[in-house]
Amino acid sequence: MHEVVLAGTPFSVQINFLSPLINGIANGAAYGLIGLGLVLLYKSNRIFNFAQGEFATVGAIVTYVFFEGTGFLPRMPGPDWLRYVLSALLGLVAAVGVALLTERLVIRPMFNRAKVVLVVGTVGVALLLIGVEGLLPYPKSQSLPTVSDVLHIQPFITRVDNIPLLYQDVSKLIMLVALAVAAFLFFRYTPTGTAILAVSQDATAARVVGISVERISLISWGIAGLLGGVAGILLAVPPAGSITPGAFTGTTLTVAFSAAVLGGMTSLPGAFVGGLSLGLIEAFAQVDSPFVPGLKNVHNGQAELAVFIVLLVVLLVRPRGLLGQET
Amino acid sequence: MAAETHVLAPVTATRKLDWSRLWPRIAAAVPLALLAVLLPAHSDTFGHVGAYAAIFVMVGLSMNVLTGYTGQISLGHQAFVGLGALTAANVVSTGITPADPFTFGIGIVCAAAASGAAALLLGAVALRIRGLYLALVTLVFGSVFADAIFTLPSLNGQDAGVSAYRPTVFATEYRYYLFALAMVLLCVYVDVWVRRTKLGRGLVALRENELVASAYGVNVLGYKLLGFTVSGAMAGLAGGVFAFWEQEFSDKDFTSVAGFNLAITFVVMVVVGGLANRGGVIGAAIFFALVSPISPVLQALANHTGWGTFYGNNKFYISNVIGATLLLQTVVMNPGGLGQVIRPFARWFRGHKFTLHDPDGDAGAGALEGSSVRA
Amino acid sequence: MSVLEVRDLTIRFGGLTAVDGLNLSVDEWEIVGLMGPNGAGKTTAFNCITGFYKPTEGHVFYRDRDVTKLPPHRKAALGLGRTFQNVGMVKSETALENLLTAQHTHTGYNAVKGLTGAGTVRQREKDLVAHAEAILDLLGLADIRDRRIGALPYGTLKLLELGCALATDPDVLLLDEPSSGMGPDESHELGDRLLNLRQELGVTMLLIEHHVPLVTAVCDYVYVLNFGKLLAEGDPEAIRNHPEVIAAYLGGEAPDALAETELPHDQEELAEVTHS
Repeated sequence: MHEVVLAGTPFSVQINFLSPLINGIANGAAYGLIGLGLVLLYKSNRIFNFAQGEFATVGAIVTYVFFEGTGFLPRMPGPDWLRYVLSALLGLVAAVGVALLTERLVIRPMFNRAKVVLVVGTVGVALLLIGVEGLLPYPKSQSLPTVSDVLHIQPFITRVDNIPLLYQDVSKLIMLVALAVAAFLFFRYTPTGTAILAVSQDATAARVVGISVERISLISWGIAGLLGGVAGILLAVPPAGSITPGAFTGTTLTVAFSAAVLGGMTSLPGAFVGGLSLGLIEAFAQVDSPFVPGLKNVHNGQAELAVFIVLLVVLLVRPRGLLGQET
Repeated sequence: MAAETHVLAPVTATRKLDWSRLWPRIAAAVPLALLAVLLPAHSDTFGHVGAYAAIFVMVGLSMNVLTGYTGQISLGHQAFVGLGALTAANVVSTGITPADPFTFGIGIVCAAAASGAAALLLGAVALRIRGLYLALVTLVFGSVFADAIFTLPSLNGQDAGVSAYRPTVFATEYRYYLFALAMVLLCVYVDVWVRRTKLGRGLVALRENELVASAYGVNVLGYKLLGFTVSGAMAGLAGGVFAFWEQEFSDKDFTSVAGFNLAITFVVMVVVGGLANRGGVIGAAIFFALVSPISPVLQALANHTGWGTFYGNNKFYISNVIGATLLLQTVVMNPGGLGQVIRPFARWFRGHKFTLHDPDGDAGAGALEGSSVRA
Repeated sequence: MSVLEVRDLTIRFGGLTAVDGLNLSVDEWEIVGLMGPNGAGKTTAFNCITGFYKPTEGHVFYRDRDVTKLPPHRKAALGLGRTFQNVGMVKSETALENLLTAQHTHTGYNAVKGLTGAGTVRQREKDLVAHAEAILDLLGLADIRDRRIGALPYGTLKLLELGCALATDPDVLLLDEPSSGMGPDESHELGDRLLNLRQELGVTMLLIEHHVPLVTAVCDYVYVLNFGKLLAEGDPEAIRNHPEVIAAYLGGEAPDALAETELPHDQEELAEVTHS
């Protein structure tokens, strides 16, 4: 417990500071990772992709299947870390593949329809993926090994005040930052990135200057699949994560959307900022604090309530989010 | 050539009943009506499933008002249904004894009122938010409302769940089905009169073009709120009927994963039915109720064809695949949904000649396409 | 008595002053024209008058009552009807449905009562349909009664939009380029229609128009805007020959150029032209 003193006032409170801080950042990294894919597709297609959570799950499932070997698939020989890397690569291929299929079969035919219809289409894709995943023969309640498991080291770097700082959480954070920076640079400085932005603003004009809208659309969705796959592989680990169909969609996705809105739906660094912020807000909302007596009574709902309030405030006061630009 | 002029005085039109055209349509409607009324009497299972279908139809009609008329999409409608159910159960709160008819009635009415109020609240809060962002807000609202309110210990009876026992007059499943059917007809009646009067017209106008609607005198803000309220009240009614159908349930039926599944099912139902198309939505609702994991229909079918155990183990995922496939097929290839498919029949029923060629295209796709719901 | 009066109307969007100190008045039963090159601020002024924009400065008076701040639907209820430049109707509905919607403020029952399907509601609905059909007949549009209007030609839509504006039972009609998309015959008919409407229904009108012969035939008084400011005002003849007005439109060409575009507006000349 830590004592927090409001400077200049006689108020001082005992709050457990560190635990929500660490949990908040860990969860926030999860929201950010999923959020990156959401922001990417909003930037490129101006839609909300409700299937992003399932791209993650597909990546995680395929990784698991190759790592552990299930049923007819034998375990690969070799050291753990090699198996993990290879399985992860295959998992990413699967995630990208699913994303490309979505683009081809659902998004492409509906290119000129209203955005809401496309969003409903992604809901359908999510639902279909959940169903298909569910029908596949693999153990659904399992999870992926953590980074520390694969490397056969202890799970936490150190304990701070008796709270473990996990390698997995640090990896999530590092990967999130790395991907956010890479994506940001990609959009700013590469011709393909610029082309994606051009197509999102005016597909016809982009065609006129020689950009292949079809190719660009495939590329954006491929990258989104890749981001989703990475998120899935890092997140489908104990205690909370698993390779259950629909796991990410039912829990993380909604908050990831709110995080993306908070950070700015058009800003990739915003996904990072929004994700961490929302993770922290959620964590601190659940703190048993005498400051806000009402919140304690909303049993179990504090975190979601906090998310909802943040979402509303952002949309009503500053719709473009913290780092986004006016569309 | 100068235009003719005359004073625009109101004239009351009269039309004679044309029996030769009327009787074939009556002849077509009667078997359907008989089916709806008599089939569920066959067995308790039939009655039970029939009431479930009725509940789905009410939810479908509720979403029809919101999405089809105001163009606002709701991804969290399960919250309103759940609120209705919990309200009814808590109002009645008789423990293990059956409710008396009067309290039962009050419970149902309160269910509709509570959800209407909640929807009004959501509408008021979200009025200035448009399009995709509003869809996101409804999604978050749905899960937040459910998780926050339904988990209040005072409401949800904690681990034991809540109970709402029907009055003894509904001792058989068939009788309760008839009650549910009556509620469905009430919702249809309201839906018909929404559509036929200034409320529906105002909602459709503001869905497509808020500026034009206000130039015609439509109070856009007020009507949107009214649309939300009517939609919420219908969903609450469905929830109330559900409470006494299931008789023992818990908040978990409407929160987190289960709640999310319900929300998605409802959206699929309305889209596949064809937006703003009453007949299509009713048909789709019945279909999805029948193929849902709760209903024994598919299980029976599977048992017959030897796939019984497979279905039994995977029914949840199978219903996902069915729903998703229909949704994608509708959205990508057949935007008018089921409504478009049955359109020639619906037109014939209303008195036009039967023709497969539709001169005007359909309004279903227009509900979302032409709406202010563009990001 | 002035039915509609605009005083010092100014509206600024950021650094751009779209309408600057406009003074305008329309008396009972007048048909007043509002002209000016594209971008002069005419539709913006309309939007201010009808409440779609909030003016930065100035006032709008309707029958001596300050209605500047009223929202559009309240102004419509008071009797200010309008049409839109890009044809504002509910495109996915039929002509009849649009005309019914337009009668929104005169249904005689409120929305909630409508839900009950009570007898009075049904009766009122029948009356509304009859009124709508009468308007369709008046404008010669009876054949499109049940057609979804989205696919209809532009000129027909403009005419139907006039019908919808009439259906709001207006005291003052603000028409935004009612003859746009119409050929010379149709514009001529429109002119006659407008004059008849004034005669039969006592409607006062304010028109945005580009079509000079229509303005000359129909308007009692004309205001000309340029770059948001009032450039000139007067009766149509005077405006037609006003050198500054012509310069604003044509960029300083010969004053007679405008006269050359005038079309015949009596029966004989019209017959000659159409049969040649």
